[in-house]
Amino acid sequence: MIWQLDLSVLTLIVICAFATIMVKDLLSAAIIFGAYSFLMCLLWTEMGAVDVAFTEASVGAGVSTVLFFAAVYQTSRKVGARKSGRLLSKAFALIAALLTGLVLVIAEADFPGFANPFTPASLHLSPYYITQTLHDTNVPNMVTSVLADYRGFDTMFETAVIFTAGLAVIAILRRFKKEDRHDLPEPYVISEGYPDTIIRFVARQLVPFIQLFALYVVAHGHHSPGGGFQGGVILGASFILLAISFDFKIVLGIMSERWNVLLGNIGVLIYAGIGFLCLLLGANFLDYSMLSKVLPATDKIMARSHGMLGIEIGVAIAVMAIVISIYLNIVSHGKYDKGL
Amino acid sequence: MHSIVADYNYWIYILLMMIGLYAMLAKNNLIKKVIGMSIFQTAIIIFYVSIGAKEHATIPIIAHGHGAVEAAIDVAHYANPLVHVLMLTAIVVSVGTLGVALAICLAIHRKYNSLEEDEIQEQLQ
Repeated sequence: MIWQLDLSVLTLIVICAFATIMVKDLLSAAIIFGAYSFLMCLLWTEMGAVDVAFTEASVGAGVSTVLFFAAVYQTSRKVGARKSGRLLSKAFALIAALLTGLVLVIAEADFPGFANPFTPASLHLSPYYITQTLHDTNVPNMVTSVLADYRGFDTMFETAVIFTAGLAVIAILRRFKKEDRHDLPEPYVISEGYPDTIIRFVARQLVPFIQLFALYVVAHGHHSPGGGFQGGVILGASFILLAISFDFKIVLGIMSERWNVLLGNIGVLIYAGIGFLCLLLGANFLDYSMLSKVLPATDKIMARSHGMLGIEIGVAIAVMAIVISIYLNIVSHGKYDKGL
Repeated sequence: MHSIVADYNYWIYILLMMIGLYAMLAKNNLIKKVIGMSIFQTAIIIFYVSIGAKEHATIPIIAHGHGAVEAAIDVAHYANPLVHVLMLTAIVVSVGTLGVALAICLAIHRKYNSLEEDEIQEQLQ
């Protein structure tokens, strides 16, 4: 831990947070928010949370910014002019925020010291994970083993939450019938838009490598930062890159709406299916050690490692499909005709 | 100096939480409110990750394989992996909530043709 870096990054984060709230242009706010997420990502790395940093880099700095862009594209860019009579509500909001801050500052006196290895949070449960992960599961990346094995239930329902979010976006926005679309406003024009050969060429060359990297992130999550969530978001981002640099229709040609929803289902099903397979083999739900009965040439420890790989693949498929689906729905206002 | 560094992460998390809460309450524009919600979420993530940080600790991945020395694993030598797992999934869920929030904003814009809170309330009355 380098405290100079810590201080400077945290200061920049606060500046970015102020700027993104204060700026009058929503596109600028989205860009500053992207910078804010990227600084967060530096901060996580600096504190040793590499997996969190990886997720923040792909989700916060990548997909979130694009989602904000898509929403601004479909609505309006300018924040409305300030009206009189809002001063009172602003004062109330300020008082509420200050009160919350005051309560937290009082509570802060009782917080455990920062970077102290002997805080209660680090004494009871996590030492088991740190010392036993290699022995129990043969997975050196503790974050992956806790995520996919020790706390597999948690992650399964988290995947289900992502899936539900995708369904909710489709339910809110999707317009299937032609007559439903008449009342929709035309999208806001950010730029005239012309086919830029350089951007298209570079994007086309990059996409296969991005997808290969995403597969590596999924498959190598046991030994290095990464895993199903990060790999899935990167896979989804590669399709979003295609949709932005080329055409909306190209992505629809590869990943149609039917496939997106189907893959989201399949991903969650793989996760739950592996859990049920363990149940059928006579173990507890998501206890992968029993998978050694069906997997060739694996003992109980390696079976847990392979079981984790299986559910990471399921998570990656589900997250990829849902990220693409959310983007396509927001950017086309549920019409699936044209995007950014 | 050490005491400032020791508490700086916590001060910043409180400050970010206040910024996020203020934006959610006071901002008139719905997208700005969504940004405030995201800032609030990241403030909580800073709090958790700060709890899990340890001085002189490395990332929670055990060196192993070819050439690695098999040694007894010292708990204080690795950052707390549990908070990392919780926050990792929280970030992924936050993109889900962000997607739903923006979808609701778009649906509101479709109906009221505005994203400003006071204009929507005028039309509602």
